[in-house]
Amino acid sequence: MSGNKRQTDGMYESLLRRAAPDRTAWEDLVVVPIFAVVVALLLGAVAMLATNVDLATVGRSYVALVSGSVGSFNAISETLTSAIPLTLAGLGIALGFRAGMFNIGAEGQLLIGGMAAVITGFSLPGLPMIVHVPLVLLVGALAGGLYAAIAGWLRAATGAHEVISTIMLNLIAYRLVDYLLRLDFIQREGRSDPISKSVLESAELPRLLTWLDPNLRLHAGVFLMIGAVIFIHWLLFKTRLGFEFRASGENPEAARYAGMRAGLVIVLAMGLAGALAGLAGANQVSGVLGRASPGFSAGIGFDAIAVALLGRSHPWGVLLAGLLFGALEAGGRQMQVDAGVSIDLIGIIQALIIVFIAAPLLVRALFPWGFSKARPSAKE
Amino acid sequence: MNVELRGITKRFGSFTAVNNVNLQIRAGEVLGLLGENGAGKSTLMNVLCGLYAATEGQILIDGNPVSFAGPGEAIRAGIGMVHQHFMLIPVFTVAENVVLGVEPTGPLDHLDLVQARAQVREINDAYGLEVDPDALIETLPVGVQQRVEIIKVLFRSADLVIFDEPTAVLTPQEVVEFFAIVRSLRDSGKAIVFITHKLGEIREISDHIAVLRRGEIVGHADHPDAISEADLAELMVGRPVSFDVKRNPNPPGEPLLEVADLTVLNNNDDVAVDDISLMVRSGEIVGIAGVQGNGQSALVEALTGLTRVAGGTVSFKGKDITRASARERHRMGFAHIPEDRQRTGLIPAFSIAENMVLDSYYDDRFSTGPTMRWDVVNKAAAHAVVDFDVRTTSVFDAVSTLSGGNQQKVIVAREMFRDTEFLIASQPTRGLDVGSIEYIHSRIAQARDEGDGVLIVSSELDEILALSDRILVMFKGRIVAEFDGATADKATIGLAMAGRYEGAAA
Amino acid sequence: MFSFRKTLAPTFLAAALIAGSDASAFTACQVTDTGGIDDNSFNQTAWQGVLDAQESLGVEGRFLESQAETDYVANINSLVNGDCDIIITVGFLLGDATKEAAAANPDQAFSIVDYAYDPVIPNILGQVYATDEAAFLAGYVAAGVTKTGVLGTFGGINIPPVTIFMDGFYRGAMYYNAQNGTEVTVLGWNPETREGLFTNNFNSLDDGRAFAQNLYDEGADIVMPVAGPVGLGSASLANELGADKLMLVGVDADLYLTDPNNSHVYLTSVTKRMDATVSEVIARAMNGSFEGGVLVGTLDNGGVDLAPFHDMAERVPAELSTKLAAVRAGIIDGSINVGE
Repeated sequence: MSGNKRQTDGMYESLLRRAAPDRTAWEDLVVVPIFAVVVALLLGAVAMLATNVDLATVGRSYVALVSGSVGSFNAISETLTSAIPLTLAGLGIALGFRAGMFNIGAEGQLLIGGMAAVITGFSLPGLPMIVHVPLVLLVGALAGGLYAAIAGWLRAATGAHEVISTIMLNLIAYRLVDYLLRLDFIQREGRSDPISKSVLESAELPRLLTWLDPNLRLHAGVFLMIGAVIFIHWLLFKTRLGFEFRASGENPEAARYAGMRAGLVIVLAMGLAGALAGLAGANQVSGVLGRASPGFSAGIGFDAIAVALLGRSHPWGVLLAGLLFGALEAGGRQMQVDAGVSIDLIGIIQALIIVFIAAPLLVRALFPWGFSKARPSAKE
Repeated sequence: MNVELRGITKRFGSFTAVNNVNLQIRAGEVLGLLGENGAGKSTLMNVLCGLYAATEGQILIDGNPVSFAGPGEAIRAGIGMVHQHFMLIPVFTVAENVVLGVEPTGPLDHLDLVQARAQVREINDAYGLEVDPDALIETLPVGVQQRVEIIKVLFRSADLVIFDEPTAVLTPQEVVEFFAIVRSLRDSGKAIVFITHKLGEIREISDHIAVLRRGEIVGHADHPDAISEADLAELMVGRPVSFDVKRNPNPPGEPLLEVADLTVLNNNDDVAVDDISLMVRSGEIVGIAGVQGNGQSALVEALTGLTRVAGGTVSFKGKDITRASARERHRMGFAHIPEDRQRTGLIPAFSIAENMVLDSYYDDRFSTGPTMRWDVVNKAAAHAVVDFDVRTTSVFDAVSTLSGGNQQKVIVAREMFRDTEFLIASQPTRGLDVGSIEYIHSRIAQARDEGDGVLIVSSELDEILALSDRILVMFKGRIVAEFDGATADKATIGLAMAGRYEGAAA
Repeated sequence: MFSFRKTLAPTFLAAALIAGSDASAFTACQVTDTGGIDDNSFNQTAWQGVLDAQESLGVEGRFLESQAETDYVANINSLVNGDCDIIITVGFLLGDATKEAAAANPDQAFSIVDYAYDPVIPNILGQVYATDEAAFLAGYVAAGVTKTGVLGTFGGINIPPVTIFMDGFYRGAMYYNAQNGTEVTVLGWNPETREGLFTNNFNSLDDGRAFAQNLYDEGADIVMPVAGPVGLGSASLANELGADKLMLVGVDADLYLTDPNNSHVYLTSVTKRMDATVSEVIARAMNGSFEGGVLVGTLDNGGVDLAPFHDMAERVPAELSTKLAAVRAGIIDGSINVGE
């Protein structure tokens, strides 16, 4: 009897053992991205050679790419500074992907969040920093979230596809920002061009490394980024809401059959995604720009889509992808300075990396020696 | 065309899917190939139609050894396969689908659809297929789509036609029509291979039977009458199988679920369920028989709170629950096995553990505040896996890696591994192997014996007959007949399912 | 972050290589605005100044293009960390960023095109241009050449370095009316209300085309786009319509030369000799006479001018040319005030 019990206990234990991630999964997650980056750099070199850049300059530019992204305190500071908004907005998009929503609207949500943050940032003098900065961030997140929730609500209530509605909301956001920036209480005194007042010092995310060198721009937003990654990981994988998001994203019909409220999940997921994009906008105006002007979103909301895809919609993957994109941005700048290579090339390399990561089979075909032999499925 | 498989072996790495199989396939005969899911039937046939190269062995056509480098060569040699999952383009017409890849072209290399249509009609007439060459695939019922697949194969002049689980997607009527087509193909001299795990069908249609288990031929019958269903089942499963579900020893108890004048509309605002009244008592299995598409799905969705009702009431233990949500009903003790395990029952990419709590994750047992208690979930899942005989190595395995039978057992475990009062099971064993069917039926009967009310919806009349204490027949959204499960007669129910029953309706 | 060690090693190697190369030469570095280095206008002209200095003074030149506004500070920073002897930022929009960087790096010499600080910042030399003087001449000659009696203009964004062109153009045309009793009108800008047509960007060629089309539809036969590369879109429209129907007045550089595909549509150009002021600034920084303040380009010192008419000379009657020369002299000696 007791022997029997021991046997069943052993059975439970083995059932509760996680299989080690199989080699293919590990290769897809780690090896493929590395190879993708390598191939993209190689093809980038070919592109440079094709545009009459000599080989020495190609070498110099890649050295600059590395030194400009991780080669000095300033380089690391710039990499992180660029990575923060990309990661925040990328997390939002990844969250949307997990819940089955393709949110193209991070750019608009970022603009709206940033505008709300800037207004909060300049219009409340006298607040202590410990209150003002969180308030700015909160208002930015809230505004971005509400703006995105419009698309979510349209989807839930009328079935309007979020890809279309978020693209339209982006266009509205661009013009809305143009308009807002000309309102008397927002536009900077003495300026006739669309530019907002500067946020008060109490609303600025403090810079972290100015004691080393006053040019180091890294600011407290980096903690926001890491906090957001941890929070979204917790939300997605440890909470009931995250379970509902993931279930709805993987199989909305099964989620409905399981009694989950699809409409609520859609609105909440879009709202949260927008809040993260809004937070990215607030982070930019409060930590980097100090003001808003037309196009201060700088395409971050679109790059964030690539970051989310590259990160396989996993919070830590998004962080790594955000860091990689930040590094490419910072290093690309150095490429221009040191080698005089066009910044457009960085765009090409980024695009190539995404193409290769999106096509793991292509990478496997190009580097057959880098991977274990593909096993044909033994299933019937 | 006569085809012989001689000593065919197919290995994937160290795994032997097919081991030393010898088979004779003769013109003008139907060879029934019987085996459970995973027995190697499809692998064997994929070798025959050129998708896989055999590791060992030989294929001989009319005595001459052949080898195929790919499916194209097998097709040119006259071997065609009708796959279980159709390969048709929904927005193309029948004729366009049929000629796809081998399009007849005119002198200027334009697509000659006139000729294509004529050829489709020719095949139609020759075998009595009755398919309109100009119909769009998406507008056709599944049974007709299957005939389009058959036309495709014949259009490519196949002399050997392989059917992979052809009846899995068909209604009983369609099965009858399908068998007529198979017979007319056979009578015209084609060689037919019919792959299935359904015992009744294989005995009805085959001239010879071969049984495959774990990649090996474990039994032959030169004539279907030479072997009993029970013997076939034992050969296939490897142990004696019981098909009789024990009847309830106890009389049914109090009324549990009462439905009065229920009307449900479908998405197009057409009436799907038309003024239905029914009642299920505790300790009773009520079976709803009917050809698929007669309102059963809408009825189940209405009873489980997944769709709004247009009229009438549903009450449970005397309490009106017409407007209660799916979750509220779940909390009252409803269990629901949905009809389509891949689409609505499971999230294939999720782990077994996650699927086990798909509709109870919010419960206090599995979560505190906003956070999930995954350790508790995983342990509960492990117990459910053991209790419900789900064959897996770990509860963290994705459900998509399980066989159909084990996937269904995950759903049954999820729905029944708790105190339930009322079970609605929709097509609970569709597409499953005999072992899984037997097991799931026994669990449903066990729930009944423990006092649950059970409502079974199935288009498999055998299943209804095996389980039900009472049988209702649904036709065009209405309940047209009621029978006592112990005395019901298959033929009469079949008439009612076709809307031709004149007896007293419930 | 497993790759940290791997990536740092080659970096140090690289740093050593770069340090060893050429630290001795004088280096002039430039940051463009979002128009880019090859905008056929503004940024390109300023870069020409660096190239000229490369030629004549033997300095080394580098540039950094900004793709978005968020890049300004980062780009200036990455140059601050290089070995630039002077950093030249191009454009009004970099005003704040340049100021911030100058404050953080008081030992670094900066110069900014199209911007001046009040009060003066000791390590920034602002370069500004009395473009309205040259634009006044353009307005004057355009009013003399127009057949429809309607001129047009539009801007990139409503900022002083843009609107100053439009001011001069408008007032030059009005001056022509006063002198000759004509009633030429100028669409697209009102110097009193400070309102007019603006594309709100400096990069959409489509906008340039659409705005010029609108002005043409309203009767204008000479249009002055003040929006950097946006004007190239207007030029392609003029090219299709033909110079008889629509001519353009170029700005910043002599577009007859820098936009050879469409050279036949330019009546003239209001040149802003940023190349001249930029080389001047580099020369000052090299010989040690650099100090913060303002460098103003005028008609008098050649910092701004009206480009030659080139192929259009025959459309400008001799009488008009004579009058134009008189106006020019009047502006230089102060008898004509272009600011009212």
